[in-house]
Amino acid sequence: MERGVVELGELFDPRALLVTGKGGVGKSTVAAALAVAAVATGRRTCLVEVEGRQTMSRIFGTTPWGFSEQEFRPGLFGMSIDPEASLQEYLDLFYGAGRLSKYVVGSAAVEFATTAAPGIKDVLLIGKVKELERRRQPDGRFSYDLVVVDAPPTGRIVNFLQAPEATTELVGMGPIRQQAQSVVDMLLDPERIHLQLVTLLEEMPVEETVRGAAALRELGMTLGPVLVNRVRPPLGDADVAKALAELEADALRTHAATAGVSLDEASAEALIGRASRHLQRLDLEQRLRERLAAKVHLPTVELPFVASRTFGESEITELAELLEGAAR
Amino acid sequence: MTRRRDAEALAEAEANSLEETLADRHVVVCTGSGGVGKTTTAAAIAMAAANRGRRTIVLTIDPARRLAQSLGLSSLDNTPRPVEGVEGLDAMMLDMKRTFDEVIERHADDPRHARKITSNRFYQQLSSTLAGTQEYMAMEKLYDLHTTGTYDCIVIDTPPTRNALDFLDAPKRLTDFLEGRFLKMFLAPGMAAGRVAGRAVGYGTGLFMRAASRITGVGVLGDLAEFFQSFEGMYAGFKARAQAVYKQLQSAESAFVVVTTAEDHALREARYFLQRLAQDGMPTAGLVVNRVTEPAVESVGRHQLHEAAAKLEGDSREPEQQAVAALLRLAAGDLAVSEREQRSLLAAMHGLDPRVLVRIPQRADDIHDLDGLRWVGARLAGVGD
Repeated sequence: MERGVVELGELFDPRALLVTGKGGVGKSTVAAALAVAAVATGRRTCLVEVEGRQTMSRIFGTTPWGFSEQEFRPGLFGMSIDPEASLQEYLDLFYGAGRLSKYVVGSAAVEFATTAAPGIKDVLLIGKVKELERRRQPDGRFSYDLVVVDAPPTGRIVNFLQAPEATTELVGMGPIRQQAQSVVDMLLDPERIHLQLVTLLEEMPVEETVRGAAALRELGMTLGPVLVNRVRPPLGDADVAKALAELEADALRTHAATAGVSLDEASAEALIGRASRHLQRLDLEQRLRERLAAKVHLPTVELPFVASRTFGESEITELAELLEGAAR
Repeated sequence: MTRRRDAEALAEAEANSLEETLADRHVVVCTGSGGVGKTTTAAAIAMAAANRGRRTIVLTIDPARRLAQSLGLSSLDNTPRPVEGVEGLDAMMLDMKRTFDEVIERHADDPRHARKITSNRFYQQLSSTLAGTQEYMAMEKLYDLHTTGTYDCIVIDTPPTRNALDFLDAPKRLTDFLEGRFLKMFLAPGMAAGRVAGRAVGYGTGLFMRAASRITGVGVLGDLAEFFQSFEGMYAGFKARAQAVYKQLQSAESAFVVVTTAEDHALREARYFLQRLAQDGMPTAGLVVNRVTEPAVESVGRHQLHEAAAKLEGDSREPEQQAVAALLRLAAGDLAVSEREQRSLLAAMHGLDPRVLVRIPQRADDIHDLDGLRWVGARLAGVGD
């Protein structure tokens, strides 16, 4: 069980991080924050999205991302992988940018091949990640110190990661076979790739994280610390929590009035109800936190729920600072 | 100006009852991006329908363990199970692979033919990994449940797709794939399993096949050719059923409920899907926004709350005062988040009419039992507590 547990301080050590989680847990937000944090540690970082939804360009308020990287902040590059462009690039590399590769990409053959062997699209996506991860500058140093990938959600990640393996079984020869094999090598190397699971302290995401972690370990993948998103902050120490649980509407109105806020009876009752719901939620979060610790055996980093009027780059920066601090 | 009009349209939509709207619909499809509470919403809608005395089934894809248990579902077995404690309600979990196998078995010429297909390596890949297969199988199952006539109301929880559009596109994509130009290439004269690498076929196909096999390797194409050949004769049926389901979904007997949370990302998907439904002529019944932040106090502003909290924090170290300060800050945070959510909702619905809008407030716990579903059901009917 202890084999290969990644400590918090090693969060940014591998060559690439694949960030995954159940839908709705804020995987893209966390991937963005990880990339910003990595840059703050002095790493040249490439942030990659694979589902072509332009989530990242929206978060950072940049022009839409394309297949070639753009440096949108000092040391931080962004790109959006699309399978067709990956295939073109790969075939050019393999056959030279000749007639065949033009013909292949320009024809229905790509659609055919990628539909026919369903994993091929995924192989091409991870293949491009591998290209970014391996790329070197003329002086021999790696082009990027870290590649952060906003990967598919947990429900699909196992298939996604198995695609290269499945493809090597299905496909006996040819460029895809070679590509698939080298991708498998990368995925299984603990010094090159870590999976970063993102979760919430809610029932389904925690269950999926427990299942996902087991399945990914089974595949031989190395898991980095679990990133727990949108954690509700405690409302003070144990005495304050106790006082809050016992607080009555009248006392609330009196205290609020001394501070200049006049609350009518209904509002005071509503607030007392709010307090009790919050305390219940904190209890539930605590139970799920324990369940996660008992079942997943990985260090965790908790990121707070951000109660702000907007959600954009400044909130990402806030989360990034926490991640950087946790990894120190 | 437009913003005010959008806000008015939403207020109007919010005054309508989703439960009323769905009262006479035969098929209800719940759709939306992953993690927004589709399954819970679908189960609550089904429960409300059963409570109206309609024979109802809810078809779910991947329910939370505890919710599944409370619906009486212990495994993926494609069998409708009565939900204990709710008269007239069945629940079923979709097993994609088994549904595909059943379709093959039912429509193949004979068991030997069916076996030939189901043992094909390519079929095995296709039936579990081809994008859209799950959606297609949900459609097949819907067709099944619809034609048996057992149910007055069928509620479907769609798979969590990368793209909400997959659900509408999958049948067409799969049937195009099965009967389209690919097939013609494989069934070209002289083309047979084992002789697929481009020999004995016309130039165009030859070049095509050479290109394709460069990408996939040769073995795959052999399996494929065999698969397509043994599949011959079944395409028409696949296509006919997909079209029948599509027509059924377009009819006034059906309804789409788009489910989302109040977060920007999910709302964007919801907008995209509402637009797409309109484009395809599908009947939209309404939008359900789950886990909405409802501020407890609206009469006092955020800044005033924070100022008061700061004052209390400075005045005394008494736990009770500290607790009040914490609570005022919590209320201020709720106001900020609520404002953010409202802005995202307005932006996502700009120029669209969701017809019915239901906001389900954030709860202290996650919904995992029949009481929780009743609680959601009351809100779908426009009744709060």
